[in-house]
Amino acid sequence: MERLIIKYQNRIFNVVLKMCGNSDDAAELTQETFVKVIESIEKFKGRSSFYTWLFRIAVNLTLNYCQRQARTATRSLDAENTEPDGTADQLLRDVLSDDRAVDPAMVAQSRELCGLAMDALLKLEEPQRAVVVLRDIEGMNYTEIADVLNIELGTVRSRLSRARGNLREILEAMVNEGESKHR
Amino acid sequence: MKANPNIDELLCSFVDGELSARQQTEVQRLASRDPEVGRRLRQLRNCRTLIGALPRAEAPGELLEQIKLAVERKTLLEEQPVSGVSTAGVIHLMARRLVAAAAMIALLGVLGFVVYQIVAPIADTGVQPVAHIDKPSRMEPARPGAPTVVADSGLSGRLEIRTGTVAQADAVLKRAVEQNGLSALVASDDAAGTRTYKLVSSRQGVGRLIASLQSIWQSFDGVTLQIEGPEQFAASVTVHAVTPEQAASIVASQNTAASIETARNYAVINAMARRTPGRDILRMVSNDAASVRDLVTIDENVRITKTQAETTLTPPQGEPNVSLTIVLLHTR
Repeated sequence: MERLIIKYQNRIFNVVLKMCGNSDDAAELTQETFVKVIESIEKFKGRSSFYTWLFRIAVNLTLNYCQRQARTATRSLDAENTEPDGTADQLLRDVLSDDRAVDPAMVAQSRELCGLAMDALLKLEEPQRAVVVLRDIEGMNYTEIADVLNIELGTVRSRLSRARGNLREILEAMVNEGESKHR
Repeated sequence: MKANPNIDELLCSFVDGELSARQQTEVQRLASRDPEVGRRLRQLRNCRTLIGALPRAEAPGELLEQIKLAVERKTLLEEQPVSGVSTAGVIHLMARRLVAAAAMIALLGVLGFVVYQIVAPIADTGVQPVAHIDKPSRMEPARPGAPTVVADSGLSGRLEIRTGTVAQADAVLKRAVEQNGLSALVASDDAAGTRTYKLVSSRQGVGRLIASLQSIWQSFDGVTLQIEGPEQFAASVTVHAVTPEQAASIVASQNTAASIETARNYAVINAMARRTPGRDILRMVSNDAASVRDLVTIDENVRITKTQAETTLTPPQGEPNVSLTIVLLHTR
């Protein structure tokens, strides 16, 4: 079990953090996830993979937590609201531009841009945020997402499509807001 | 191009590599032909890249230890009832329950002892049992040759009067019997110095007779009334240090059950008075006829003053259902 914890703890923590937006809460939820896994390991029948079963527990705990708290929507990563400076603003415009593809390395190097992306992610509704995180951050395929969230494959497809559309709208609103502030 | 949910889902699936090979080819062909589709594909890819490029956070270093501690804590809490440590807890709890039960039993014992001290007889102090349910043992057995009176189905009683002047008491008693129009069988035992009167009359008649003795009651060293009901009551009650008012009230009660109940009450009252530190005061109070009458209810027809008793020669009315044996015992 210790090896399993070591193997998955960072991935679980990362997914939970991206969903709840607070590192302390994410650590607590990750701990709670593994404790629950250990407690109910006998109930694991192997109908799904251990990987999806583990993430199902983590995501369910996190979604319940988010519903209880109802405060994650206003939180940014580690409780910092990122104000886009000029550089991040330009990078965000490039991301939203449909002229060229964005370089992932360039995005990762910009702390401000990551902050904006995280803010936008946290503004999504929890079910949409969950599919985006599981797909784009954890890298699950649609079948695994459906298994984790216990929803139909078509629901994953439509929810992910809507989530990305909403995410783009949120980001565009952020760019417009930044432009109006700089003027 | 206006957003089409179906096309968006298709493009989304294309970006995520979730389409079949044939569908992939179709979307690629569509994107190459339609610039709007190509633009939306780039938007989706950029959005995906942006989220996917977010830095990966690592779990806190102490997470593993915290998980272990949490599991241990939960395990201890859940397994406590069956663990060795918890067995000690169960034993401790059981011991506490046993101690509580023992304390309760001890308390009941003390309470029982106190009740027993109040109700039980005190040996060799001249104080007799105030009430007992068994057959009377302190009554003198009927002497051979003595006149016998068969009690009716009502009340039967025995009034033992201890006095140093049997002759004087006998004279007063004899006169009282005559004045109340009663007839009694009298027997005497000169050797023992006792006189025995056995009479059968109505409750009112016996009540009047007892009331007639009020004038010399104070001179008696001790008076004990023992009454017995018919078999269905299966009880006899002995009232020590009975006063004339009490005796009259007992005999003149409405029925046998009431007589026995009244006698029990007086037995307890008198016993409590004997055990009370200020019993002399109580006795003084109880000797006050008015106070006694306030304490107990005596039928009007037995509240007879000395004058009335001496002048009344009216034969007793009512059914002769009370058998009373009056024994005058000489105090040595």
